[in-house]
Amino acid sequence: MDESPQQTDWRRWLEDHAPKFLLFARQQARSEADAQDLVQEAVVEAARRRADGLPPPPALVFATIRRRAIDLARCEDRRTGRELAAADPTPVGWFDTSVEERERNQLIQDAMNRLPEMYREVVTLKVWGGLTFAEIADTLGIPANTAASRYRYGLAELRKLTKEVLA
Amino acid sequence: MTGRDDELFEAELRKLTPAPPPPELTARLASEMPTGFGLRQSSGAFGPRNPLPKRQRTGAVQDAAAPNRALPRPSWWRLFGWLAPAAAAAALIAALLLWRPSAPDGRLHVKPATASLKPAPKADEIEIDRRLVALFDAVAQLPSGEPVRFRCCEWADEVVVRDPARGIVIERRTPRLEVVPLRFETY
Repeated sequence: MDESPQQTDWRRWLEDHAPKFLLFARQQARSEADAQDLVQEAVVEAARRRADGLPPPPALVFATIRRRAIDLARCEDRRTGRELAAADPTPVGWFDTSVEERERNQLIQDAMNRLPEMYREVVTLKVWGGLTFAEIADTLGIPANTAASRYRYGLAELRKLTKEVLA
Repeated sequence: MTGRDDELFEAELRKLTPAPPPPELTARLASEMPTGFGLRQSSGAFGPRNPLPKRQRTGAVQDAAAPNRALPRPSWWRLFGWLAPAAAAAALIAALLLWRPSAPDGRLHVKPATASLKPAPKADEIEIDRRLVALFDAVAQLPSGEPVRFRCCEWADEVVVRDPARGIVIERRTPRLEVVPLRFETY
């Protein structure tokens, strides 16, 4: 069955933004299943907040993902790490991997994992989320200058960690 | 590290594209979102004579969006919209002022209704009263052997409706037994 123009429009928006949302959610959540749930809940919640029926701004979805991830982490603190590990046995790649770049992407993902969270989330939102520093500030609830400085520090730290890979 | 190096490094990072979501997540998202998502809807005034059925949306999103998508109120509503709650408040105050629950003598007097219906009997005065016919105590014993005292009141509830113009008097008496258990020690 052919899709209506509205459905096509929605799918296009989803194709553009869902990978960014999922990347950010994977960094915020403890398991892949939680990350996917975060994306779904955040997109729906952000769409509900829009009164005009237009697509929600990505910054709003990122902020919702982060807020829900914090709530989820509070709930999951009651669960044991063993349960969480059993629920998500296989690690998931953050980036789209072709055969020749798989190793490099995995190294960058490892380096991102080693970054402090305060730097990692700013770098992710800036580089792959496409947000401005003002939007990042709103998303994370920090001043814009702080977002900019965290980005510089995070980028420098990430460059150190990936020096051999991207040299 | 210079600014140029930063830019080059950032460009290198941007070459990495986030992994696409798994198909099941895309399907879940598509099922959650409204089909008209992202497009403004026309009023339909210039549409075909027999339009297609209206689009269906998931209940959750539809419910959430409903208050926000309500039709705008016309300008006269902003000017005179306060009249409706003001009239309701005035009617409530008038009803409270006119309503008298009971007379000082304990009898309930209901004011006669307007005489617009001539064929029906006109009740000028309705009296609702109760008379105590008998009062006595009874003592019973529970299965455990504990005595229980009851105060028994026999009442006669009376309702009298009079229509002096037609000489009609309707009286109704209903017996009622009231049994109140009492603590044995307090009696």
